[in-house]
Amino acid sequence: MKAVGARLPRYDAMGHVTGSTQFVDDVRVPRMLWAKMLRSPHHHAAITRMDTSRAEAMPGVRAVITWEDVPLLTYGHLEALGIPADEPLLAKDEVRYKGQPIALVAAEDVDTAMAGVDAIDIEYSERPALFDVRKAFDSDSAQIHPWGNWYPHFEGEMDRRKIRKGDMDEAFERADKIISGVYRPAAIEHVPVETQVCLAVPEPNGRLTIYSCTQALYFTMGVVAAHLQVPLNKLKVIGGTVGGGFGGKVDTASDTVSALAAMKSGRPVKWRWTREEEFLASSTRAPWHMEIIDAVTSDGWILGRKMLTLHDSGAYARFSPYGVTKHSFHHTGAYTIPNLHFDGYVVFTNRVPTTAMRGFGVTSISFAVETHMSRVADELGMDPYEIRLLNANRINDTSPNRIRYADPSTVDVLQSLADAKGVDLEPAYAGMTRDPRSGDLLPDHLVGQLKTEGH
Amino acid sequence: MRIEVNGADHDVTSPPLASLLTVLREEMDVTSVKAGCESGGCGACTVLIDGRPQRACLTPVVTAVGSEVTTVEGLGTPDEPSAIQQSFIHHYAMQCGFCTPGLVVAATAYVNGGGSDDLDSVAEAISGHVCRCTGYNKILEAVAAAVKSSEFDLDSTAVDKNTVVIKTGGAV
Repeated sequence: MKAVGARLPRYDAMGHVTGSTQFVDDVRVPRMLWAKMLRSPHHHAAITRMDTSRAEAMPGVRAVITWEDVPLLTYGHLEALGIPADEPLLAKDEVRYKGQPIALVAAEDVDTAMAGVDAIDIEYSERPALFDVRKAFDSDSAQIHPWGNWYPHFEGEMDRRKIRKGDMDEAFERADKIISGVYRPAAIEHVPVETQVCLAVPEPNGRLTIYSCTQALYFTMGVVAAHLQVPLNKLKVIGGTVGGGFGGKVDTASDTVSALAAMKSGRPVKWRWTREEEFLASSTRAPWHMEIIDAVTSDGWILGRKMLTLHDSGAYARFSPYGVTKHSFHHTGAYTIPNLHFDGYVVFTNRVPTTAMRGFGVTSISFAVETHMSRVADELGMDPYEIRLLNANRINDTSPNRIRYADPSTVDVLQSLADAKGVDLEPAYAGMTRDPRSGDLLPDHLVGQLKTEGH
Repeated sequence: MRIEVNGADHDVTSPPLASLLTVLREEMDVTSVKAGCESGGCGACTVLIDGRPQRACLTPVVTAVGSEVTTVEGLGTPDEPSAIQQSFIHHYAMQCGFCTPGLVVAATAYVNGGGSDDLDSVAEAISGHVCRCTGYNKILEAVAAAVKSSEFDLDSTAVDKNTVVIKTGGAV
């Protein structure tokens, strides 16, 4: 038990400060090729012609990989969770975002690989593009996928993540005030200082060794094995040293194509993205559009919440349905609201596919909820701490998805926050605890939710 | 064309306008010098050229001929880390470690050049370095501490004065 409470040094610190930590790009193997990717110059287009023969004939080019080389072209990270795949590893007939990978060239050096990319003959027919999630539902808007502009496969083949709880009509009838707000946090690029990079090495025994910068090694193993249609025992994936990820290295971005190039050329292949590629084509945190309408009483109780969320998934689903599900479970924040009506859509646009980033799905809703709580306090002329403490989750309250809170910490966190900021709370609020509701803290509208079946 | 790196001579085979970054990494296997952006923006490839911090990615190798090039490998080793390297460990001034070699190099130039422990001055000195993990405060503290001290305890880390202890009410 020497470690508990102790300030231990990082196990990897000496390697970091002396430059001896080995990241993927630092691994050295003989006879290594460099790879470069042909990426879509258009946001949305049909590929009408592609001919790689000039590139393949160039001296120094050892392999060109297109969709034809991928045993299973379309596979998704969350297929095991029932989220169908919609994204090809390499574009076949169409491209849906600028920077989408189309063909990889592996060559003796970087300059030759780039020349090989330039020598691929390709023609496109541009299509109208969609960038604004608010226009995705318009009949005259650009169509991203054959099935439409939003994800249709939530459980029960529903086209949205839907939550209904309590009696919304009654909440709005009883309300003294209706307070609404729209919240739109923008996309964020993770900007790891180490760009996406992979080194794939074919071994004499027929296996592949993959040095990966992934944050999620078992995702990488499963995804690469599925695309290549090989059993897991053909892959040896080496990871663990990640030069910054923040969620952006959960997607398997560079490993699969590098592996294919290594198999086709019989040589080790390194594919290291440039900073420009990282900004242009790597996944980002999603931009979100969130509309909140609250039914409130003049003494500060939130009786009901109607909410619409449009999650900008970019061109493909990846992890977005999972992110919106988490988002929906948290759409009351750390507060108890008994009557709820929530619709959350995963909307497709011609932006880069969006993905996990630090609190996936929840950061957006926390920003919206906390901003909205302060707006409600403002409009009611209440103290922002008091309105939060009044509505804070307490033991036995239930979440939007009907989880009963066994030991929620909202009250204590708010009191500590006030303390840290030097705010003196009124005695009634300073003395509050997380104990189950009773007396003044159990108004009529919250009696019912305590009786709700929890899980 | 011959360059001197960490006290040893090296005959360059790359063309004169190849970047010092490429020569160090791909020709000499000096891999502490990182290719973060290859356009002078992130600071991860910073080396000392005659004691001054420079971007290796923007330095044509020919311009380093006749100069002393020092990378973080030349500043200290796991057996004998420099004061600044010790201070980074003691102050927890890193997470993923990818930007760390460049920061240690820049901090070394700052401290050796008589920099003060004023945090604004330290921030100015490392302002050309992007770190996405730490939030910079611990790095500033590490560099400032290295101005005043040359030895640090490597078996425990400094207590973070910014830590807020949350009171717990019920059972946790």
